[in-house]
Amino acid sequence: MTGVRGSLRVGIVCPYSFDVPGGVQNHVLGLARYLRQAGHRPYVLAPGQLGPATDELDVEGFASVGAAMPVRYNGSVARVNFGPLSAARVTRWLRKGKFDLLHIHEPITPSISLLALWAAEQPVVATFHAATPRSRSMQLAGGVLRGAIEKIDAGIAVSESARNVVVQHLGRDAVVIPNGIQFNDFARRQDLCAELVDIGRPADSGRTRLIFLGRLDEPRKGLDVLLAAVPLIMKARPHLELIVAGQGSRSLPEWCCSLGMISDETKIALLRSADIFVAPHLARESFGIVLLEAMASGAPIVASELPSFLDVLGSPRDEQRLGEVFAAGNAGALAAAVLQVLDRPDPLRVARAQQAARRYDWSVVGATVLAVYRAALSAAPARWAERRIG
Amino acid sequence: MSTVEMVSLMIIVVLIVGWRLTWLATRVDRAHVRAERTWAALDAALVRRAERALELVLMPGIDPATALLVADAANAALDPQLSRQDRERTESDLSHLLDAIGPMLPSESSRLESERARANICRRLHNDAVATALSLRRRYSVRLLQLAGHAAEPRPFEMADGLSQPVIVRAAEN
Repeated sequence: MTGVRGSLRVGIVCPYSFDVPGGVQNHVLGLARYLRQAGHRPYVLAPGQLGPATDELDVEGFASVGAAMPVRYNGSVARVNFGPLSAARVTRWLRKGKFDLLHIHEPITPSISLLALWAAEQPVVATFHAATPRSRSMQLAGGVLRGAIEKIDAGIAVSESARNVVVQHLGRDAVVIPNGIQFNDFARRQDLCAELVDIGRPADSGRTRLIFLGRLDEPRKGLDVLLAAVPLIMKARPHLELIVAGQGSRSLPEWCCSLGMISDETKIALLRSADIFVAPHLARESFGIVLLEAMASGAPIVASELPSFLDVLGSPRDEQRLGEVFAAGNAGALAAAVLQVLDRPDPLRVARAQQAARRYDWSVVGATVLAVYRAALSAAPARWAERRIG
Repeated sequence: MSTVEMVSLMIIVVLIVGWRLTWLATRVDRAHVRAERTWAALDAALVRRAERALELVLMPGIDPATALLVADAANAALDPQLSRQDRERTESDLSHLLDAIGPMLPSESSRLESERARANICRRLHNDAVATALSLRRRYSVRLLQLAGHAAEPRPFEMADGLSQPVIVRAAEN
C-alpha cells in the first residue's frame, strides 16, 4: 500500500530537451504523471523548457539544465547537454533533491544522464530506450564506462530488442517494461471524432484515408517510402488520401495533406478517422508508441518489419499477428500490404490489437515500474531501504 | 634519461597502477555487496510469494484437491533447511503449479500475481548482479592479486518464473 508514509522522492533524468517532442520525453512525462497519481513525488531534470500546457508536473517538479545543444547521435539529431557547467548543475540538483531513488533514462548517452549516473549516490534505476547497438560507442562504453554501468541497480528495457542490446553490449540484464500510453484517451474519448480534424478541404467520406505520424524531414521515419508507395496503391484504389502530421517541412504531392504539428486531441481524432495507419520507419525505432496509440484507437496497422514493431505486432508468420508488416524500405511491399488490408478488412484483428494495446496503459506499465523501484530499494543499503514502498 | 627522470617516471607508473587497482577493488567489492543484497531481496520476495500462495488455500470456492497441491508446494518452498539446489527446484515446482491452476483461480488472487511478478523482477536483479561479480572475478588482475578476498563466489539463482514477459503487476494492488 503506497500511503503518504511510503511516498517516494524520485529524481528522473531525461537526456533529451523538452523543447522538442520525442518518445523519451513523452515517456518521462507520462511516468511523472503516473507517479504523482500514485502518491509519489517525481522531480524531472532535463534540458530545455517544459511546455506551458503540461499537467503532468508541478512547476517545482521540473528543473532545467539550460538550453541544449544539437548533436548527431544514434542516427538522428539529439538535443543534449554536457560539459562542466552541466555537470555542476546535475550535482547541485542531486544534492538539493535528496532523492530516495534516481531513475535515469538512456544512461549511456553523452548527456546529463551519464553525468547523473556518475554522481549518483542513491539507488539507480536506468531505462534503456534505444534498440540499436551503437557498436563503436558501446565498445568504448564497455571499457571506459564500465564502472558507471555497474552503478545501475536495476535496468529496464522498453522492448526485447532494447534488452538484447543491453545484454550483448553492456553485459547487464534488464526487465522489459514497455512504454506507456493513455489507453482510455485513445479508445474511449467519444467526444473526439473525425469531424474535428480540419484538413483544409471538404470532408469526403468516400476517400480511403491513410495516416502517417512522425517527422516529415527525417529519412528514417520512412515518409519517402510511403510517398513512393501511394501511386502504386492508387492504381487499384484511386479514391485515396494521405494525411501526414509531424514536425518539419517538405514539398508534398497534391493527394497528400500535411497538418504540421498537432495537439493530442487532434491526433486522437485523426487516428480514429484512419482507414489504415502506416508506420514505414526504416530503422532505429526504439519503441513503437505511435503504433500502440493507433492500435488503441482501433486503426488497422501496416508497419515495416522492425524488431521493435514486431515485438508489438507479433511475427509476420503468426496467424494471430495484430497488423500487416512489410520489408522496411520496400515501397512495392508497402503498397501490397495496404491493399491486402483494404481488400480484406478484419475487424476481429483490429479488436484484438485494441485489447493488446490495453496492456500498455500507464496503470499497468507504471505499476510494473514501481515494482522495479521496490525491488531496487529492497536490495539497497539500509539507509535507502527504509524508503521501500508497500 | 637521467636517474631522477627514471625514478619519477617509475613513481608515476606505480601511482597509476595503484590507482587502477584500488578502483578495480572498489568495483569488485561493490559487485559482491550488490549480489548479497539482491539475494536477500530475492529470498524475501520468494518467501512472500509462497505465503501468498498459502493464502489461496483459505479462499472460499477453492476445491480441496487444488488446495492440497498448493499447500504442499508452498510449504516445500518455505522449508528453511533447503539446500540451494533444492530451493531452486521447489520454487520452480511452485511456479509450474501456479501456472497450471492459474486459470481456475478467483480474481482475488491478483495479490499473488503481483508477488510473482515482484519475485521475477528480484531474480533478474540478483542474477544480473551475480553476472557482474563473476565477470569481475574472471579478470586476470583480480585473480592474480586476489582482489575478491575471501568473498564467496556468488551463483545465479536458476528457477522457472512461469510468467510471460513483460511482467505485469496488477494496478489494483498499488
